[in-house]
Amino acid sequence: MTLLKALSRTKLYWGLIAIFLIGVLSSPMTSSGRNIFLSSGNLLDVLRQVSTTGLVATGMTAVILTGGIDLSVGSLMAICSVVCAMLLTVPGETPAVFLGLPAVGLASLLIGAVAVRFAFLNIEKSRAGENSIRDVHLDRTRGTVLPALAGVGLCVLVLSFLLPQVQTKFGVLGVLLVAPAVGLLFGAINGAIIVVGRLQPFIVTLAMMVTALGIARLTAGQNNAVLPVYTGSNATADFDMLRQLVFGIVPMPGIFFIAAILIYGAVLRFTPFGRYVYAIGGNEEAARLSGINAGRVKIATYAISGLLAGIAAVLYVAQYRQGKPDAGAGLELDAIAAVVIGGTSLMGGRGSLAGTFCGVLIFGLLSNILQLHNINSNLQLVLKGVIIIGTVLVQERNAYDILAHLRLPHTSRRAAERETSAEKRPSRETLSLTMGGKEE
Amino acid sequence: MKRRDIMKLTAVAAVLATTTALLPAGEVMAQEKKWRIGFSQATTIEPWRAQFNKDIIAEAAKHPEVELIITDGEDKTEKQVADVENLIRQEVDALLVSPKESAGLTGVVQQAIDAKIPVFVLDRNVDTDQYTQFVGGDNKLIGRAAGEYAVELLGGKGKAQGNIVEIWGGMGTQPAHDRHDGFHEFTDKEPGIKHLLDQQSGDWKQDQAYNIMATALRNNEKIDLVYGHNDPMAYGAYLAAKDAGREKEMKFIGIDALPNEGVTWVNNGELTATFLYATPGAEGLRQAVKFLNGEKVEKTVTLDTMKVTKENAAEILKEKGL
Repeated sequence: MTLLKALSRTKLYWGLIAIFLIGVLSSPMTSSGRNIFLSSGNLLDVLRQVSTTGLVATGMTAVILTGGIDLSVGSLMAICSVVCAMLLTVPGETPAVFLGLPAVGLASLLIGAVAVRFAFLNIEKSRAGENSIRDVHLDRTRGTVLPALAGVGLCVLVLSFLLPQVQTKFGVLGVLLVAPAVGLLFGAINGAIIVVGRLQPFIVTLAMMVTALGIARLTAGQNNAVLPVYTGSNATADFDMLRQLVFGIVPMPGIFFIAAILIYGAVLRFTPFGRYVYAIGGNEEAARLSGINAGRVKIATYAISGLLAGIAAVLYVAQYRQGKPDAGAGLELDAIAAVVIGGTSLMGGRGSLAGTFCGVLIFGLLSNILQLHNINSNLQLVLKGVIIIGTVLVQERNAYDILAHLRLPHTSRRAAERETSAEKRPSRETLSLTMGGKEE
Repeated sequence: MKRRDIMKLTAVAAVLATTTALLPAGEVMAQEKKWRIGFSQATTIEPWRAQFNKDIIAEAAKHPEVELIITDGEDKTEKQVADVENLIRQEVDALLVSPKESAGLTGVVQQAIDAKIPVFVLDRNVDTDQYTQFVGGDNKLIGRAAGEYAVELLGGKGKAQGNIVEIWGGMGTQPAHDRHDGFHEFTDKEPGIKHLLDQQSGDWKQDQAYNIMATALRNNEKIDLVYGHNDPMAYGAYLAAKDAGREKEMKFIGIDALPNEGVTWVNNGELTATFLYATPGAEGLRQAVKFLNGEKVEKTVTLDTMKVTKENAAEILKEKGL
């Protein structure tokens, strides 16, 4: 329901419906006369294909909402895929353990520290009696859930010190927690540098993109090797589960993607943290003055972005049976594009995860349709670009806005009427007038 | 329904109408074609891959009963896997795949096999042997041919003397390792031959090879032979030597022998020799058509190599219409 509401608010469904209808109407048929595009297999293929980009775009949305950007996600995914593949193939592989152990340790300590802090804070607050009933309720959940998480983190930390033994005793799942932890750690480093150094997110994450790629290559060994993971090497049934179909229908990566959207979407909409994210994106100074710890919130968004890149990496390794330093090349651009198509403003403060979900699907469906028609792949790139611009235009503007901007006399009057009746920001027309456009 | 929404609807309808009109309608499927063959190419940016596509298209033109669908994986495993999934959904009669890498494509190739589509793997193998056929060159064989010729150029078996600069392709790729191993089977037996560099990779690219060679020229007084794992790298090394005024002192050997690259450079006297790494395009399609027409095909077809020197370069160019 909330998804539908958000849909109608962000006007996204226009783009999604349009793309979907184009797919249905123009789809080629199989020899037996079935519509290929609509066949469940094809649509589930699309869901599987977009899940990696989707997970990364989910983390990216919150970062962009705070007015930042994260260019390092592709390289972070590369590192995590290398670590994950190494641990699966060679138990206790030195570079991977070297990278993995501190990461898991620090990640769980981070979660633990946050949890403990919140817990104490809440106790003091409720002693002081300055909380409403609802706040106490919120604090209670925070005071229990986070320490629980920290406990889990610490368990993983202890277990990870016994890595080779973990693999034999607890199967692969213990190892699979390492890659997301590595992502979380690098994401947190991104955030910390941005906040503490007061630097532009663009340049910090750009530097991280290069650095992380180097670390991924060093970890993989001198020959930037592809690290194949064969069924039966160490990858048990747990690991294979990550690429199979759930109930024989939905691909597992797709489940992860949808879950991430729902969970993070709920966090952004219903928790104070979510409100802080929007507030910082709207006006960071004002948010700070109203008592929000902007630095901490920003670090959290980058850390979560890294975490999701790490989860995406695990799914990548499961699906393609390999980890490699060039996994995730160009991923950051696809993710940013999906977020923007989903109606999130690069200025921050405006947008939603429901929008991103649609943006990712629009992207995936578009590629699928063009491929089903076997259009020349170079032409496909051109069409993709053109259709993306078209989609964003349909969502963001209507014919009136565009015509008014062109100053066609019979529309500009009506547009002006509409603008004055609307309470919104000054239209482009009034802006251009104040900036010395020619008078009417 | 506000007016704004009506405008939107109109816009959407307009977009819909135009795109649907532009896209070829589903019903206009070529009915006169007997076989639909899908070919998933890893990337089309590299010249060798471009030649590969040219060869397969030229071969398809000779079979009027075949409709060939070519996809481009844009050098990404994810994209290529999606392409193959797409071809499976389209229910092609046969599937040709030239994998970007083995591990990443294995799962989806297995999926095609499970869907009862005959699969022909070209150039690079996958980690399963349930495919119908593998067609490809043998890089080790080519490396051996190059090594043998290098020994001959430096004075012959048992008497060869000289310093060799070897420029690797991508370090993580099997072809580079094979081209290296085959070459060394011959040169390592010669006590008089010295290898100057330790695993310097030019990543198959001309510009990177130029830089490696420029450094090597500064560090070494005497270089007798340069072996590039492909022609563009050998040519990049040649250009570096030429800019240093030393190209006359040494021989250059490359691999691939594409008509508009290696063969042309050999013909111009810039490279000493190159060895053909034939694209499996034409052969792969021929084999697939043969199989669809109910004939038996071999499990593996290995394409032969050929030495290209000043003697036969002009002839090959004429053949290829250059």
